[in-house]
Amino acid sequence: MFFKECKKAVFSLTFLLYVFVVFAMYLTQFGNDASSAVSAPSPDSGDYGFTATPIPETLMPNAAEGLVDEYLAGEFTTYPTGFYKKVKLTEKKKTALAAVITELTGLTAEELDGFDSYEPEGFNYTADENGDIVLSYHERVLPEIRVSESLTYERFEELMEEADKIIGGGSYYSKKGISRYYSMVPKTYEQALAEYERLINDEKITGAYARLFCDYSGIDLAVMPVFVAAALVSLDRKYRVSGLIYSRKISSARLVFTRFAALVTVLLIPAAITAVMANVSVSSRYPGYSVDMLAIPKLAAVWLIPNILTAAAVGMFVTELSSPILAVFVQGAWWIASVMSADGLTGEIRPFTLVCRHNSLYKYEAFANTLPQFIFNRVFYTVLPLVLVGLTAALYELKRRGIWNGLFSGGKNIFRKSAV
Amino acid sequence: MDVIEIKNVNKFYGKKQALKNVSLTINRGMFGLLGRNGAGKTTLMKTLAALHKKRDGSISVCGIPIENAKEIRAVTGYLPQDFAMYGGMTVYEALDYLGALSGMPKVLRKERIDVLLKRVNLYDQRGVKVKALSGGMNRRMGIAQALLHDPRVLIVDEPTAGLDPEERIRFRNLLCEVAEDRIVILSTHIVGDIEAACEDIAIMNGGEILWKGTVSELIRNAEGKVFSVRVQKKFLPQIKSGHIVTGMLMQGDYTTVRMVSDTAPDIENIFPVEPNCEDAYIWCLYSNGCEVGESNGCGVYGSEDVYGSAGGES
Repeated sequence: MFFKECKKAVFSLTFLLYVFVVFAMYLTQFGNDASSAVSAPSPDSGDYGFTATPIPETLMPNAAEGLVDEYLAGEFTTYPTGFYKKVKLTEKKKTALAAVITELTGLTAEELDGFDSYEPEGFNYTADENGDIVLSYHERVLPEIRVSESLTYERFEELMEEADKIIGGGSYYSKKGISRYYSMVPKTYEQALAEYERLINDEKITGAYARLFCDYSGIDLAVMPVFVAAALVSLDRKYRVSGLIYSRKISSARLVFTRFAALVTVLLIPAAITAVMANVSVSSRYPGYSVDMLAIPKLAAVWLIPNILTAAAVGMFVTELSSPILAVFVQGAWWIASVMSADGLTGEIRPFTLVCRHNSLYKYEAFANTLPQFIFNRVFYTVLPLVLVGLTAALYELKRRGIWNGLFSGGKNIFRKSAV
Repeated sequence: MDVIEIKNVNKFYGKKQALKNVSLTINRGMFGLLGRNGAGKTTLMKTLAALHKKRDGSISVCGIPIENAKEIRAVTGYLPQDFAMYGGMTVYEALDYLGALSGMPKVLRKERIDVLLKRVNLYDQRGVKVKALSGGMNRRMGIAQALLHDPRVLIVDEPTAGLDPEERIRFRNLLCEVAEDRIVILSTHIVGDIEAACEDIAIMNGGEILWKGTVSELIRNAEGKVFSVRVQKKFLPQIKSGHIVTGMLMQGDYTTVRMVSDTAPDIENIFPVEPNCEDAYIWCLYSNGCEVGESNGCGVYGSEDVYGSAGGES
């Protein structure tokens, strides 16, 4: 029974699509990042990238300047749901924000309004004496912004939070925005060297690559299984065999759980192959180093299986509940929301985020800091799918007994009650 | 105890009553359920297969209350009206899959599939994909899957609809063979199938059991109610509008018309004839107050609605 269901899942167009996407993601994303070995930082380089380190002395004036800049321009850039959104404030909100700026910089509302000469940077089109259009670029002209000397960093954080709230959230002045846009400082050689040594010695190279692999694979594995699951479940309807299967002796729970197990098994195979390929590929780029030969498959098992379980379970449940199209829509919407709402690409795993991100070979500490949330998250997304599959079995039994025919399945009623 | 007891069963689709106080006792052998499209035959069949829930009344299948769905499924074989299977599977794979769903061990499955495929004359097609089977082969595969777990009750819903005459006869004979040691309930709107295969029958109309008994009793009821006359073609519209015509035979400018009526119609040279099963069925509908004839859009009886049409009950 299990192998028969596996066969049904494998010989489908959606499974081929799934395999293609899994391998394409692996080759174009992880394969690209892992195409060459990381070398030790050179003391003469001087450029070691950036690291997020909040230094109040530089962070506070920079953030204040940014806020005044946007205030004067009358437009704020925000990413409330992960997507870009331009915000223009009402007069009431503008007044409230001016009060925040006053406390932050000492500039009064009148002074702010007096910056008549303020012009944001950009291009100007003017006509010369011959009437020809002349294009000119001008730098922005912003008054010098100073942060009040008496302002503490704690109060600064409160004011930024308030400013973000007035703007509507997702602005550069949110906690995430401050960290991402105003806390970046160049890494020192010592910091870069320490990160490199951790990668080579503590993480046996593949330990760090495992996080990067899971980061990339986790994205497609949180959505692609829904296509295969929805197609497998809707196969009975497509071939009009539901009635025939309903009439067999097998229990609904056994049938649904067997199908789920078969589905997850076949979905795991391409993911497992890419994990092994990744480990072999990374190892081959570090000859002579001590490499953990199972690091990527081991972490992938913990990190990626919950994604597959969840997307597959949602696919089965919503298809049984209503339709395969709705299943893809639901999982797709959840996936987009999850990917877009990620606070950052490293070290910001939250308890209920479906797609866990860590898009770096470094920043182990950031990952370690969120380890409890990560463990909770993965356990949650292992248990939730099992609950969903249990509910799917219950729905299946209701349909089988002719008690309920599914949501939005026709007729005038939203809940199409079956005949009794 | 191979008997099905149905007592006062009612069932609704929303506000529409699909089964009205249905009571039947069905014993071992072939039992025919006859009725027009939409008479409630499929609803009753699905209810007996535990695929639909009744509102009230009681049903027991071989002593098992219908509420024990799992036990009912173990003792019943079901061939749905629109039997279909995954097109990409071979005949053997499809039967093996359904056998696994019936909880049969692999060895037993193999043994039973071979026996049944030979019995339904599909053994040579066991490696053929389901989608490549003809309508008749598909229906024979349907009966094989329904018999796979050796059920005590076989429920077959409109199994001959769409089959050519030869396939239909072969299929009916097959059903008669398997009915020797189990209950077989055959639902159809084709009177010929019932006449050829069943002894006990029930006629359904509008969700009700209109009549139940044997085929010979049904025919006996119509004795003296069937008439024949040879008329000129030009009088046909007149006759069809005024009488319940069950058959017409065109012969040049003349047509021999067969009709049912309470008393001999006032037509010159008309004479009574022996009723056949189709006449008896129409008489049964008429005498029980059902609208019959062209006025209700049913057409002239004696055409394919009685002898066998391509369509099934919707």
